[in-house]
Amino acid sequence: MNSEKPIVQMRKVCKRFKKTTALDQVDLEIYPGRIIGLLGANGAGKSTLLRHIIGLYLADTGECVTFGCEAGKLGPKELARIGYVHQQGELLEWMTVRQLVRYVSTYYENWNRELEEKYIADFEISTKARVGSLSPGQRQRLAILVAIGLEPELLILDEPAAALDPVARARFLDLLLQIIQAENRTIIISSHILSDVEKVIDHAVIMKEGRILLDCGFDELRERFSQVRISALTGELPAELPFENVVYCKRSDGQAILTVRDCPQEKLQEQAKRLDCWVEIETLPLEEIYKIVVS
Amino acid sequence: MLLEIDHHSGLPIYRQVIDQLRQQIMAGRLSEGEQLISVRELAAQLRVNPMTISKAYALLEVEGLLERRRGIGLFVARLRRDQKTRTKAKLLEDILRKAAVTAIQFGIPEEKTQEMLTKLYSKYDSQTRSQSNE
Repeated sequence: MNSEKPIVQMRKVCKRFKKTTALDQVDLEIYPGRIIGLLGANGAGKSTLLRHIIGLYLADTGECVTFGCEAGKLGPKELARIGYVHQQGELLEWMTVRQLVRYVSTYYENWNRELEEKYIADFEISTKARVGSLSPGQRQRLAILVAIGLEPELLILDEPAAALDPVARARFLDLLLQIIQAENRTIIISSHILSDVEKVIDHAVIMKEGRILLDCGFDELRERFSQVRISALTGELPAELPFENVVYCKRSDGQAILTVRDCPQEKLQEQAKRLDCWVEIETLPLEEIYKIVVS
Repeated sequence: MLLEIDHHSGLPIYRQVIDQLRQQIMAGRLSEGEQLISVRELAAQLRVNPMTISKAYALLEVEGLLERRRGIGLFVARLRRDQKTRTKAKLLEDILRKAAVTAIQFGIPEEKTQEMLTKLYSKYDSQTRSQSNE
């Protein structure tokens, strides 16, 4: 799958704001056709990283290359291939929604009117309202519309679901899946809430304190951890349980629940056979996996 | 083809798709030679990433349960009888194993457990059922 060229390449990127290290030796490659979840607590460096990709911030050291071009030198040609929805979403307050959409669309040859109409209908956006009078949820919907209307090859969404209510959030995720159906589109979506994005992402990048802790396929992440439940057929469990890479272990006389990392299920099953016990091997709920990775 | 995805399960979605399709093929709900709906359609229906579905399909192809006809799509493969028997036995064994262990842990004797299984079998088996109605 990685025979394709990455559309974003970050190498050893460092960024400091006064005394705070916002990005610390960040290496990241983004391949086309994926939905990447950028996960981490508030202040982990997610927004800063995203801004480097489009050249809004420049690295102190290291380099960031987007669409083959140094991020600081991106021109209109490259920028027309990128849609960006930022957290604070600054829009032109005095325009009506319709005016704003028309205004933005004139900048892009590839603006999709059909998608625009469909989105406005699906998300119940009132086109006559003034931008300044919109509720946070409506603003966010408008910001998303403005970013996807140009049919970007790379869509960057910084905490896009935060201000949406649950119904709009679900519809929004469906919309992302529709967008990705088109060939070679790529979406990077940041969130501090895993459950917001776990439905759609196929790749996870987890950040903490300006560093990338983990960068791997989402399925791979789920398979990296297993929960092993052991119960004695009769009496007590043996004192020693033959498992390696145990992260957590809870046990009583007749039962034990282990969390194991980086051990394939087949190998666990082999190890389980040596025990004269009932052993169930399951995957771990995602929230648990996330907690282990960031702790 | 009716599939259901549990998004909160830690089991990767492609694995859920594989398990359910394998189950449906073995139960004959998806019959030999039947064409599967396309990756895009199934992805749209389940509201998941298309890559997830193509991964599931590809692995079932490797397993031999599906076959690709170039330019047309994926079909349920014609399986050798012994291969089918083996797969079914393995799926059933996984379920029965749990029953056996529960019986042991509860202290229910072997004969009693077998008797319960026999009773349940005749309760749900349509042939036995229609005979008893006659």
